[in-house]
Amino acid sequence: MLVRVEALHAGYGATPVLRDVSLEANPGEAIAVIGPNGAGKTTLLKAIVGMLRPTRGAVRYEGRYLSGLRPYQVARLGLVYVPAERELFPTMTVLENLQLGAFRNVRAAGLQLGYVFGLFPRLKERQRQLAGTLSGGEQQMLAIARALMGGPKVLMLDEPSTGLAPKAVAELYRNLSQLKDAGLTILVTEQQVTLALSLTDRAYVLEQGSIRLSGRSSELLGDPAIKRAYLGVA
Amino acid sequence: MRKYADIAAVTLVLALVPAAAGGSPYYMRLATLALVYMAWTVAFNLIFGHTKQLFLCLNALAGTAGYLAVVLAIQLKLSPWVTVPLGVAAAAGLGALFSYVSVLRGLGVIFLGIVTLSFSLIFHNLVLGLRQFTNGETGLVSRGLGFSLLEQPVPSYYIFLAVLLAALGTYHLLMSSKSGMAFRALSDDELTAELSGIDVTRYKVLAAAVASAILGLNGALYAFYNGIVSPSVFSFVGIDIPVLIALLLGGMRTRLGPVLGAVAFALIEELVRPWGQLNVLVYGLLLIVLFTTFREGMVPVIEKLWRRLDLRQAARLRPEQAEAQRRTP
Amino acid sequence: MTALLFDGVVQGLQLSLLAVGITLIYGLGGVLNLAHGQFAIVGGVAAALLLQLGINPVLAALGGVGAAGVLGLVVDRTLLLPAYRYRGEERLLLGLILTLGFSFLIDGYLNWRFPEFSLSFQLRVPMVELAGIPMRTASLAASLIAVAVFAVLFAFLKLTLLGKSIRSIIENEVGAELCGINPSRTRTLIVFLAAMMAGVAGVTQGLFSSLGTEMGPEFTILGLLVAVVGGVRSINGTLAAGILLGIVNVFASHYVGAYVAYIILLSFAMATILVRPAGLLARFT
Repeated sequence: MLVRVEALHAGYGATPVLRDVSLEANPGEAIAVIGPNGAGKTTLLKAIVGMLRPTRGAVRYEGRYLSGLRPYQVARLGLVYVPAERELFPTMTVLENLQLGAFRNVRAAGLQLGYVFGLFPRLKERQRQLAGTLSGGEQQMLAIARALMGGPKVLMLDEPSTGLAPKAVAELYRNLSQLKDAGLTILVTEQQVTLALSLTDRAYVLEQGSIRLSGRSSELLGDPAIKRAYLGVA
Repeated sequence: MRKYADIAAVTLVLALVPAAAGGSPYYMRLATLALVYMAWTVAFNLIFGHTKQLFLCLNALAGTAGYLAVVLAIQLKLSPWVTVPLGVAAAAGLGALFSYVSVLRGLGVIFLGIVTLSFSLIFHNLVLGLRQFTNGETGLVSRGLGFSLLEQPVPSYYIFLAVLLAALGTYHLLMSSKSGMAFRALSDDELTAELSGIDVTRYKVLAAAVASAILGLNGALYAFYNGIVSPSVFSFVGIDIPVLIALLLGGMRTRLGPVLGAVAFALIEELVRPWGQLNVLVYGLLLIVLFTTFREGMVPVIEKLWRRLDLRQAARLRPEQAEAQRRTP
Repeated sequence: MTALLFDGVVQGLQLSLLAVGITLIYGLGGVLNLAHGQFAIVGGVAAALLLQLGINPVLAALGGVGAAGVLGLVVDRTLLLPAYRYRGEERLLLGLILTLGFSFLIDGYLNWRFPEFSLSFQLRVPMVELAGIPMRTASLAASLIAVAVFAVLFAFLKLTLLGKSIRSIIENEVGAELCGINPSRTRTLIVFLAAMMAGVAGVTQGLFSSLGTEMGPEFTILGLLVAVVGGVRSINGTLAAGILLGIVNVFASHYVGAYVAYIILLSFAMATILVRPAGLLARFT
């Protein structure tokens, strides 16, 4: 097991958000964390990557505890996070954004660039364009591509389909599928349940800070409770 | 009544100082200067402590009033009873203007600080540049202009004591009224205060205007008391820095913090006097130490000690009385 | 007329050296360094002390610049630590006060220890002629040095990965950290470089004019004004603003006097803050 979250409690100041959250991801698996707005999905990812200090519990990656590590250290270990806001560098070119993504592993940058351009040919076309001038879908691609430049082992994406047109979302998930087939471990949070469940192997349902349900994605898709709550089926 | 006991005690002590000074002009001047700085620190407490407006132009506000009062008295032969209020009005107007514009333009603490610092420098250069009125670096003599009371040590002391008490009184009035609640709300979180219906602009400008009026009043009176007005009398290092240190030492947002802080600072100043130029170094050290370790200031520390003494007293009373006393903070 | 213009550019470049340092420290550290002028003075004083020891002027100058850099390093790693524990406005305010205090510390000490200090370098050839314009070699040398420093800086920031990582932190610290960039180590590097640039300004001041220990606050204020007008986050803007304000200062001093010139510069800064806080060349808010 590559990433394991153990009984995590976390919040902002005096407000607790996550209560006793445990999950795990094995190498090559794609995991979804689904749940409504405000459930704590973003908080969970931030706590894993070190942007937030948990009040209780721990996160383990490749067996070692990540407590106290700063986000840049976690990134250098190969656990890479693409936030919902993407956090690109708008006045720098697509190419520069990608080069910075390879900061932790400059030697592999050349190879990674080729791989990333192969995966996202649109980015190769626009490599000298300023990142701030790209469309929503292209920015999402760039954010993922930048994350891949460091040669990560685990890729965590926070609601990657937000603000994207359906065609862009389909393309995005096609790419994620390719990455999963290539052996990357993926953790994705989504409000769009069908999408997330159709791509991933296993899923966790996060509601009001706690894990309510978990299991194989295919089974959850057929689960009547899920259907009622998230898929609008009576 | 406990609330006013501390002010009464302080007033009593301050009123008796001239007797303790025994007529020594050196100590009288020292004590009078301390009073001047106390009132200035009360003003800064209002502006910075309570409404988070970083005015780095205290010297310019006080100096504008001071120079205006003296120059008008000299040039237009007007009585100080006319020129001092004019000076105060000018200072209050300027302070209110800076506050208003900064809220209007949404300036953060730092940018307001830079703007007011620029104003402070503009003031300095204006004084030097308009030498036909201000006599530049040398300055003007402010004696014999019709304010004879301020030319004698003991009456001067009591005049400034009166100003200080008026300043403290105004502070108390503001803080115990609706304004006080507004100040507390907006210093906590301005956006929330605005959304709760508090007119943030009005209260910030009010605080700035009142504080600037105090700065101006003391500045104008000080100009006459000092006998000379020159750029070095109203310098940034001479006014803004000591006031900042005094407020930190005494305790921001407390009633008597400015008073205690100014006294503490005056003592430190006296200690450092024989070292000459090194006083600037001590200012720097104080700023660094105060802002990193001693953030609270003296008044909260004294209050905590007081409370502990109180509780010890309570332990000697009957247990139920002691419980009741311990419950009331 | 052209002599004035040239003087303005020379002065402007000096101001830019200081201002760009302030801009960099603000962009990366979120701190407005009110002690920046003192870095320049310390650089000059160190160079003078080395000169007194009989060391070759060029080496002494480099030594001075290095000393300024080291001071910056020390300040970043010790004095500013309490400030770095906070974020945003809290950090800004605390940093402002701490650097202000430090500025007084240095100012008080230097003025007490070296009361009659003055640094100036003498060059063997006092005047040269370039394109028909006679100019002081010292001024020319000072501006060439400044231009060289800027050229190296821009090349570094634009072309090297480390330089790009610096720009990325200024632009989006969160994004940079997620790329594996260590913000605090990078910040220390920038403070070191910015302090060295201030050191260059201090030493070259001794070249075409003279440097006194009391000039620290003046340097800081001028640098701050230029940084504000140029936009506290824009390096190109700051460079442009420096040259502009240098020219304005020289012309104004010549025609209306030093005090009014200063007031004009201050009004520029105030106006920029009130009208366009992001600075002259602000493109992206």
